[in-house]
Amino acid sequence: MKSKPTFGLLFFFLLGLLPFVAALIYALLYSLGIVGILSEGASISYWRQVFQSGELIGSFLYSALLAGIGVALSVSLALLVSMGLRTSLQHRFWSLLIYFPLAIPGMVASFLSIQLLSKAGFFSRISMKMGWIDSLQQFPDWINDSYGIGIILTFVLIVSPFFVILFSNVYQNERVSELSTLAYSLGARSNQVFWKVTLPILFSKTKRIMILYFIFLLGSYEIPLVLGQESPQMLSVLIIRELKQFDLKLIPEGYVIAVAYTVVIAVSALLVFRRREVQVHE
Amino acid sequence: MSNIKRLALFFLGLGILFPFAYLAFLSFSGAWFFPEVLPGYFGLKNWKEILSTESDMGFSFFSSLGISLLVATLGTGTGFIWSKSIAYHAQKESWLVLAYFPYMLSPVVLAACLNFFFLKSGLSGTWQGVVLGQYLVAFPYSVIFFQAFWNHRTRQFEQLVLTLGGSSNQAFVQVLLPLAKGMILVCFFQTFLISWFEYGLTALIGVGKVQTLTVKVFLYIKEANFYYGAIACCLLVWPPVILLYLNKRFVYNRLV
Repeated sequence: MKSKPTFGLLFFFLLGLLPFVAALIYALLYSLGIVGILSEGASISYWRQVFQSGELIGSFLYSALLAGIGVALSVSLALLVSMGLRTSLQHRFWSLLIYFPLAIPGMVASFLSIQLLSKAGFFSRISMKMGWIDSLQQFPDWINDSYGIGIILTFVLIVSPFFVILFSNVYQNERVSELSTLAYSLGARSNQVFWKVTLPILFSKTKRIMILYFIFLLGSYEIPLVLGQESPQMLSVLIIRELKQFDLKLIPEGYVIAVAYTVVIAVSALLVFRRREVQVHE
Repeated sequence: MSNIKRLALFFLGLGILFPFAYLAFLSFSGAWFFPEVLPGYFGLKNWKEILSTESDMGFSFFSSLGISLLVATLGTGTGFIWSKSIAYHAQKESWLVLAYFPYMLSPVVLAACLNFFFLKSGLSGTWQGVVLGQYLVAFPYSVIFFQAFWNHRTRQFEQLVLTLGGSSNQAFVQVLLPLAKGMILVCFFQTFLISWFEYGLTALIGVGKVQTLTVKVFLYIKEANFYYGAIACCLLVWPPVILLYLNKRFVYNRLV
């Protein structure tokens, strides 16, 4: 097959980049009141309203907090499992079984969380049967709660299995075992080997993927849609809520939030991946 | 092995298998009222009802399957072919950073901002629109994925074929495709999952007319019909589990 680099780049631009650019430009024009059913000419009033209401900042901080805690807990749990059970996970049965949780999508994870963690859920029933609680109200509020506990637990459920696999693979590929043996032979204690050898290697090889996951969770939709509360809402849920509201005059505010979110993502991509050989498989 | 490790392994296995077992158990259950730990009914009633009534679960399953297969085929095929142009370009890194933009953005936000164009083109509320919307996410992923394939060694293989008198078509069909077979399968599997698991973009562009399994699960959650919801969840998770097994057993192990 003949190599057609210009045609290839054109195709990539048309189907890979143009939709993104078109979406951003349309959202920007709508947010400035230039296009839209009730457009009244260019104005930054919608931007002013959004920033004055504080909803964008609140939602952004709330999303960043939940995504950050979700990634931190997932990474910690994955480290504990992948390092604590390292030799067992290399066994054929376990090396296959740890892939199974990757088959659970966000929507199913949300469904499971409702079934297991809600006040009338499975764990609440078990608690009642065991006599730990006497009534429904005594079970903790984990679904649609103000602290986003259900959302965070569901994030951990879907993210930590990936990091278990990732850390196990990096440990093998980077020959951390041999390096640890060398450190032991030079007189290091097991604590020192973990903190000074294992952890720095694992983190340096996976930090970009951690940032990517933080960004994915920041824009997560179905989990906060099902398990979140009315206010504050995570970014994607807030954007869709604003864009779908009945008051057409307020729709540009939804596009303001969408543009702000898109710009944050674009800047993040530039900061994370610039001046580096980008690879999916580390 | 110490007892603590055995216990940890037991809980790890339980934690992995419990969600699958619970969903299957719930799909066969009925009359499961609070605070009962076990259901009042356990049998095939829900599955029989869902297969015989107008719930359209079978249609949703095959819609999801068809859309995902199409997105995976298109995404992997075009991604493999056109990723080469970027991999060998002098400004490769800049192009790749641009490829990350649509991939990192929340699909539902991308769909919301593109909804106007889908409405104008008549693609809103159609399966073709959903396929196109999901393709816009799968294609950049595929382009990024195949960068690992187009390396110096691959280029040398291709040039060797050309030096020995082979055409560029022969180099592609007889050398590059067989070399990339494993990666193509993995990418196909990943893009299939991107589409199979997708909810927000599908619901927004499909406007309720294209009811994939994820859309069904959300509808059942809203209706508080958890038994049917569990059936939809089972149909959603078991095919990827089988694919994961096949992928791990026959593809991934041969790649590493």
